[in-house]
Amino acid sequence: MAKEVAALEKGAACCGWSRSGERLAVGSVNGSVSIYNSSSSPSSKWKAHASGVVDVVWLPPECGDALACISGDGTLSLWEEVEEGSQPVTWKMCKLFDSSSYQILDVQFGVFSTSIKMVVAYSDCHVKIYELLDLLELDKWQLQAEFQNVTDSVSRFGRPSCLSASIAWNPQRGENQQASFVLGFNSDLPQFNSPKIWEFEEAHQRWLPVAELVLSEDEGDRVHAVAWAPNIGRPYEIIAVATCKGIAVWHIGLNPESDGRLPTEKVALLSGHDDEVWQLEWDMGGMTLASTGADDMVRLWQCNLNGVWHEQATLDCS
Amino acid sequence: MPGRPSDSGDSLVPFSPEAVGPVTHRVHHGLRSPLFRVYVSWSRGNNLQVACIRPPPPDSETLDGTGAEGPEEEIGGKVVEVKLGNGEGEVSEAERRRIAYGSVAPFALLQSQKNLFAASSRMPNSSIRTEWWHHVLEYSNSISNLLGERKPLPSAVIEDPKMILQPGEEPKSLKAAWQLMEIFYVDKQVSSWLPECLVDWLADYDSLLTRTESTIHTKISSLQKKLDTLKVFEDDPDYWEGLSAALAVGWLDTVVKLLRLHGSYQLDQLDSREIENGLVEAVAVLVSTMPRMRPDLPPGRLGQCCKTKQEYIKAWEKWRGHVSKLESSAFWVQCSHPETRDGLRNLLQIMLGNIKNLTVATCHWMELFISHFLYIRPFTVGLEGMQNLAQKCMQLKPSSNYNGLIRLLTGIFGENPEVVLAECSKSFGSWMVVHAMELLTASSDNFGILLHEERYNLGGISIEELHRLGYAQVLSSHPLTWQIAPTYLASCPKQGLGLLEILLYRQPVQNYQLVLKTLEICRLYELENISSSIMKIAGMCHWKHGRKGSGVYWFQQAGDKVSLDRIAQQLFESIGKSVSDDSFKQWEGLIELLGSDVGTAGGLEFLHKYRDFKRSLHLALEGRAVDAARQSMQSLIQLMRNPSTPQRFWLPLLHDSVTLLNWKPQPLLNVAETNLLLNKLQELSMAKLRPDYCDTNLPPQALSSVRLALAANLGRAILEEC
Repeated sequence: MAKEVAALEKGAACCGWSRSGERLAVGSVNGSVSIYNSSSSPSSKWKAHASGVVDVVWLPPECGDALACISGDGTLSLWEEVEEGSQPVTWKMCKLFDSSSYQILDVQFGVFSTSIKMVVAYSDCHVKIYELLDLLELDKWQLQAEFQNVTDSVSRFGRPSCLSASIAWNPQRGENQQASFVLGFNSDLPQFNSPKIWEFEEAHQRWLPVAELVLSEDEGDRVHAVAWAPNIGRPYEIIAVATCKGIAVWHIGLNPESDGRLPTEKVALLSGHDDEVWQLEWDMGGMTLASTGADDMVRLWQCNLNGVWHEQATLDCS
Repeated sequence: MPGRPSDSGDSLVPFSPEAVGPVTHRVHHGLRSPLFRVYVSWSRGNNLQVACIRPPPPDSETLDGTGAEGPEEEIGGKVVEVKLGNGEGEVSEAERRRIAYGSVAPFALLQSQKNLFAASSRMPNSSIRTEWWHHVLEYSNSISNLLGERKPLPSAVIEDPKMILQPGEEPKSLKAAWQLMEIFYVDKQVSSWLPECLVDWLADYDSLLTRTESTIHTKISSLQKKLDTLKVFEDDPDYWEGLSAALAVGWLDTVVKLLRLHGSYQLDQLDSREIENGLVEAVAVLVSTMPRMRPDLPPGRLGQCCKTKQEYIKAWEKWRGHVSKLESSAFWVQCSHPETRDGLRNLLQIMLGNIKNLTVATCHWMELFISHFLYIRPFTVGLEGMQNLAQKCMQLKPSSNYNGLIRLLTGIFGENPEVVLAECSKSFGSWMVVHAMELLTASSDNFGILLHEERYNLGGISIEELHRLGYAQVLSSHPLTWQIAPTYLASCPKQGLGLLEILLYRQPVQNYQLVLKTLEICRLYELENISSSIMKIAGMCHWKHGRKGSGVYWFQQAGDKVSLDRIAQQLFESIGKSVSDDSFKQWEGLIELLGSDVGTAGGLEFLHKYRDFKRSLHLALEGRAVDAARQSMQSLIQLMRNPSTPQRFWLPLLHDSVTLLNWKPQPLLNVAETNLLLNKLQELSMAKLRPDYCDTNLPPQALSSVRLALAANLGRAILEEC
């Protein structure tokens, strides 16, 4: 049932798969990045940062083979694989986002008909949204917006300190699709933590929070991971949110109510990982959710015919 | 796949979703715990990639791993691919692929027939239904053939009298399950012969009922082995046990063959054992004339075939009369061999339907169940009756384990399609569920309604669609089977195309053939958006990997004006930086590829003209032909007149043409043209003072050499025109 695909070099700290699942990028504690192409040894390796790489995220294939690396010092670099003439394949740095004041915690990319959008989350609980119009040139990112993860933009809050951020784009691709993503933080200020869905309002060219995925009793819970399920035709969206209380599964209506907010319903709270949840990942049909956690387990969750979510299988990695 | 039934119901075998916890699989990666992190990613379909990462070494250790450590310490983590699926253990992967490919055509045919029927809904409902099951039966037969045919070995010319068990291929559970579904759900003709169908089914698949407990099949097989060594069969209790067992489940041929092995048939013993032999033969005759209610009997098979109930009842009563008569005959007293006497009378009791003898003769409850059809309740009809009977048999012959086939059968008796599907899924995998659903829906409208009902909990799809989507995901897990997933997705009205889009979008674009295949599927299902995305991705991939021609080709296929414009822009800028012949050659092909109809591609028009200019200039300089020289001068004038020619190209263009301006045989430009160029030069000199002026890589004296050449040309042109 299981077969070994690759053995990672010593010092591996994080990894990420490309969209087709054929390539694996592994970031290392010494700042290097290795690429594995469905073989057991890396095909490329280079030093991306002076300090350790804490996260690697592939850019959408529309940009070619490109990778975003977040370093432990809070900087973000974008790399692309290029070949010129008879030269061997090289990974070239296209862009470095410095973190003069706040560290970069997470980055995610969304594909749209004419552009690629990038959300970057910082350790002071704000996000920046960049847009790339020319996919041939990965260095020309334009800052489109910058805001904090709060629904009330008027009040002043203290200065939060964030440990981690979780971003998930709505994976739906399509001509008329409004750009939207869900964002949650793991910070010391509760207002910033709860996951909110931000949608780009074309008419006023601004990002608005259209839903908040939290019940009053859970307000302020630190968010460890979020995942937006692919929607192949459901009349509602599904988003999974992991907090210290477990993994919540939310249904989000497609049509806004009179106040402009999207109707939300928490349909399940899945407990199983005793410790922190590290990652949430939906399968391509959005029917099975895989979660990993500090208990070294991979748990697979599904909904039965009655709409009850349950754990279907467990992969014990310990 | 979410395939659990919502209702445990009152099925025979309790199937409670709550009682079954998640299955735990161990991932063997060989790393010592604790782990630092576990990462997962869904790759193709149901394959999950799992990366287990060890804690990073402490700072003091060097990363090159030269410390005194074991080889395992050198490794930072392992990546494992886990195939998630369910028990199809008996079938090898290659076999499964063969079945998957083979079942596409019958499935697709049935779907198109279904659509035709739906379209011709004006027809009276009943006639649709009566005709419909014929189609499903045809489909079922195609699938059944695919699952393997039991091919008996070619029989020897002289039949071995001791061969009581026909050797053949090992029967497969998958086929057994399929046959079972066909018997119960599709073949409307068999409804009155249902019991006999089950008798036949058991004869083929008795060995599959249980792997751990004994069955009549195991009993007969061990007897078969023993027969070669036995001298006097009738003294061995196994002989009589085998006889009664085979008779109980109606394997008449085996019974008669075994009876004829009886010692009393030996020529040298006929005299002394005449009575005994007569009794054995009488039983053998009764066995071979047992009435069976079925449409036909395969040639050579024993029994008396009755097609109607009346005919059968008549024959049955007559036959039973003979059995009772023999039972109460006085000859038994004269039979001197006690084992023969007891053994034969046991057989008669079985034929008379004595439940005690039947219970002793059979091993598994299913065998006892079947024996009821033969000897006690030949007219059992209806699933409820069968379920009660099965329950009774289970009490008489409790079994410690229920395998997939038995659970499937009990699900069928329970008339709960959800349980049936859940069993199919659990024991035989998603292929079975998807294909067997066609049989289920053919059987009754209620099942059809249940399976086709759209459910909000499932995201607005029906159970049927849910299972098809699940099977398509399984198919897309393998590079050799993903191509048949679209057939099944196309039969999913709500979400099939959505999943197909994602599946196609995730296909790698490096391989040209694969891209063509993907695009072909896009074309078939009219997914223009996806095909254009794939072509754009392919274009970008090739472009960035230095295969610029392929890149441009795919961008053009995609009609990606934005990217083509940017490429044109890049070419343009690159040429602007250097107009050396070498670099131009590199771009010339691409300009050709980009074509002239890229629309508004800024500068592309210029690039074409520039190319023409360069070509004729080259010809003129090489061959010194006047025509070529004139041609290139005309191109130059056109370029300089054209507002789309960027200013930074003016000087390089003029500088390239200095030789032609100084063309010895005759001036190539007239006064007006020369004046135009001089004006442009003047404009350029002025522009040089502006801060945004873009300097070229030309030598500093370029401007003055051009000015000189133009002045000389002007002089000669004036003289010429005078």
